[in-house]
Amino acid sequence: MDGVCLELAGKASEQPSRVSEVDELTLIRRAQEGDRSAFDALVRLYDQNVLRLALQVVGSPEEARDSYQEAFLKVYRSLRHFRLEARFSTWLYRVVMNVCLDHLRRQNTRKEVAVPPANDGEPEYFQTVPDDRPTLNPERATHSKEIARRIQVALNRLNPRERMVFELKHYQGLKLRVIGEMCKTSEQTVKNCLFRATQKLRTELGDLV
Amino acid sequence: MNCLKFEENLPLFLYEELSAEERAACEAHLAECAKCRATREKTAQLHRVLAGRPRREPTAALLAESRHALEEALDGEQHGWRALFQNRLPVLRLQPASSFALGVTLVLGGFGLGWALRPHAGLLTSSPAGVNTATVTNPDLENMRISGISRVAFDPETGGVRITMDAERRVTLEGSLNDPQIQQVLVYAVKSYDNPGIRRDTLDALRSHLNNPNIRQALLYAVRHDPNAGVRLEALEAVRGMECGDDVHRTLLDALEHDANPGVRVAAVDALIDHEEKEGRDTAIQHALDQLATTDRNPYVRLKCANAMMRLGK
Repeated sequence: MDGVCLELAGKASEQPSRVSEVDELTLIRRAQEGDRSAFDALVRLYDQNVLRLALQVVGSPEEARDSYQEAFLKVYRSLRHFRLEARFSTWLYRVVMNVCLDHLRRQNTRKEVAVPPANDGEPEYFQTVPDDRPTLNPERATHSKEIARRIQVALNRLNPRERMVFELKHYQGLKLRVIGEMCKTSEQTVKNCLFRATQKLRTELGDLV
Repeated sequence: MNCLKFEENLPLFLYEELSAEERAACEAHLAECAKCRATREKTAQLHRVLAGRPRREPTAALLAESRHALEEALDGEQHGWRALFQNRLPVLRLQPASSFALGVTLVLGGFGLGWALRPHAGLLTSSPAGVNTATVTNPDLENMRISGISRVAFDPETGGVRITMDAERRVTLEGSLNDPQIQQVLVYAVKSYDNPGIRRDTLDALRSHLNNPNIRQALLYAVRHDPNAGVRLEALEAVRGMECGDDVHRTLLDALEHDANPGVRVAAVDALIDHEEKEGRDTAIQHALDQLATTDRNPYVRLKCANAMMRLGK
């Protein structure tokens, strides 16, 4: 399960501090006994990655913030039942994943994921991404935006579970075994999910390659 | 391996998730199947296209905001009814009807108790037990993104001030009002913070250092611009204790002539009389009092101005 820590972190240097497993275990024990500062320290170990993942999956900063809060509150409420022989990071990301899945399902229900048409300006999702290539020209910028929009539409058309598995595999680089642990499901099920997601994306985006 | 089996394994092949044996079988099939080689190439290109999706990094502001919201929610968890039931009364197993009755009783009792024990501004009290606060003596305030101020407490005996605020994490800043960093946060709180209670507590702390230019300027700013009349009144009371000067006179005069709240205008009259008695005659002030004694829309303010003119011997 090291993969979760290392790969989800992505940019380990950004983490304010890394603690050893022993330290983490101590923090968990103290937090289970009601030590709030220990829980806060646990949050700080993972929260940047949690927020990054939530932002990537649910899209809007507001929903990412809500997912972040909901996930950590669930962890806080259930921490006393956490068994120390399991990995905290696996459990945490499982909670995060479930929260994000719920958000995606709600988005689907409310049809909030509808992406505006290409001539309706760039969706907020991409507006914050700086594009400072020296060769930038309006035509190319428009083309890049269109590709980004198409990708987002295609990802939004996956069902929440396929979307999550694809996100964790393709963008977060987790091993399928780890994703299976996080989903509490077999590796074979995750493979099937990934296969279906890839098929759908190939159909949606086939003309781009 | 046939083409169908290869296609099933293709994502795993590209993600290097196949065993050595399976991978070898795929490569053997690729070597002899042009159609599957084309499919692999197309899928690999698709992966490259998908990798071009811009990655969103959470901004520092979003991180600070998320942490602040979580801190607040955790405070609520820790000190709320859930914590009471989980930590203090684990043996209680109530029927739904009893739970409802107990809930109603607790809510009503809570309101009553909260009212009876409501905190009084200005008292230096400690943070709730267990809340994660860090005392910062020399924070790099330039790099902090303050998302909220929870408390400003001034201790009149020691002259110390304690500010609890939320940035990327909750921090408590303690020190003397002479400390430029303390001043910086307090001036920020007076001018920009949206909670009038905090602004008022901040004025309480600042009024002991009226001769400091930054503090003086912040107080005058509050008299002129604070949206809350209670805070303007508090600031005006503080300004009464300042050494006289053109800036003070102009501010008081503006408050008298233009403030929307009659209570503030009355307080401005009192402050101007104080200053007139100390500093001598200022024709602009006397003219304003004279005029407002007949034109102010509030009868008490008119009366107050008329009395002030009499007191000043006009």
